[in-house]
Amino acid sequence: MSDTRPQGQPDEAMVDLLVKQVTEGLSPAEQRALDVMDSELASAYLRDLERAAAAVTLAGSKGDEPLPAALSARVAQQAAEHFASASNVADLGAARTSAAEKARDQSLAPPSAPARVGRFGGYGWLAAAACLVLAIFGWERSPPPVPPVAVVAPGPVTVPPPAQPVPPTPAEERAALLAKSDSLKIPLGATKDPAAAGVTGDVVWDPVTQRGFLHFAGLSANDPAVHQYQIWIFDAGRDKRYPVDGGVFDVPANAGEVVIPIRAALMVRKPAAFAVTLEKPGGVVVSGREHVVALGSTS
Amino acid sequence: MSPSVLQRIASGDSAAVRECIDQYGPLVWSIARRLSRTPSDAEDATQEIFLDIWRSASRFDASQGSDKVFIAMIARRRLIDRLRKTSAEPPMDPVEVLETVAWADPGTASETSLEAEQATRALAELRPEQRQVLELGLLHGLSQSEIAARLSMPLGTVKSFMRRGLIKVREFMNVDAERVLSEG
Repeated sequence: MSDTRPQGQPDEAMVDLLVKQVTEGLSPAEQRALDVMDSELASAYLRDLERAAAAVTLAGSKGDEPLPAALSARVAQQAAEHFASASNVADLGAARTSAAEKARDQSLAPPSAPARVGRFGGYGWLAAAACLVLAIFGWERSPPPVPPVAVVAPGPVTVPPPAQPVPPTPAEERAALLAKSDSLKIPLGATKDPAAAGVTGDVVWDPVTQRGFLHFAGLSANDPAVHQYQIWIFDAGRDKRYPVDGGVFDVPANAGEVVIPIRAALMVRKPAAFAVTLEKPGGVVVSGREHVVALGSTS
Repeated sequence: MSPSVLQRIASGDSAAVRECIDQYGPLVWSIARRLSRTPSDAEDATQEIFLDIWRSASRFDASQGSDKVFIAMIARRRLIDRLRKTSAEPPMDPVEVLETVAWADPGTASETSLEAEQATRALAELRPEQRQVLELGLLHGLSQSEIAARLSMPLGTVKSFMRRGLIKVREFMNVDAERVLSEG
């Protein structure tokens, strides 16, 4: 390989831990034991073992099953949304990656790998993403993607010139979704968290298109450099410990009534509850639930 | 040399996204099916893996391996993370009959990948019981303890077989890489 490798050979204890990491993952105690070892050497050796394990996987994957059409469509739609949002917001995925995952990612990355967001920025991807969605679902099922993190405060209504169609605002999209017979409307209640005092609102969710909107008033303004709000969807068919991430958002001072598009990271089969938590900037993969500021249940 | 599908995704080629799904969807789906507890888990995992692929495309370095092995690495990482999160749940049905693995034939790199061919050649040098440990661990997602129980083999032996097997594959891959570099 062309990269510079650290000198020395890993001892048996390190190799055993790395093999276990590659084959089944490490327990917290094992991870701590690995963390105190030579990280450069471990990282280089881990990369080799991961490549070896992947190669064995490929060698044993002769005759792959086709990806089911419905799943392929969901993956394509998710891709369209991902690349559309990449030009509007900071890469949530990168922001949510834990320190351990970041360290592990180095084994895939050249030292000077460029930042990803910039490479996906621009209108080309937006147009391409919209085309991809159109090609799969058509206009009726999936309108053009909108930014997943947006704060819309009510303001003066501006009538656009007839020749220049303006994309609907989240509030307008919510109203349209609400008018659909199969959409759900779930009232949101405040919790005892200080940031939640006086919160009122609701969630509108369409199980068919997997689109939804969080609508509320009274949530405290946040400083995005310190915290961000994060939406969670509890799916009755999933483990309650791991609700589906619905995206992060900010509330500016004096926001008034706010409508936020919900972007479910995964398919939600049967929404049981929606929650909003306050998390570190960029959101988290699994919430510690220290600050649950709004909660709504379908039952 | 034309850019790979991942390099095209990283450079903003929108057609490459669909191409990637079509080309590697079956691979990701097959790995996800093998390393997930339920079909529903496999579907969720597949979506998560592709999201990881979109996020990681710009990190792909063709000098480190093929698109295919990069995607298999991403898939394995995500699936192992998911298996760890659900480790408290019961493992697969103990009476389930594991499907027989059809290892790739050496010399068919165009159909599989250079890395798969290297792995197959390395596996051919292992004893059958060593190969079986790798198969259960890497292809079917069994933990070392589960393999030990299934094969009635001491855990230490399973660890040793797994370690030696992976190191053997690693050696084949590195020797080939050094040979390519010296010839290139």
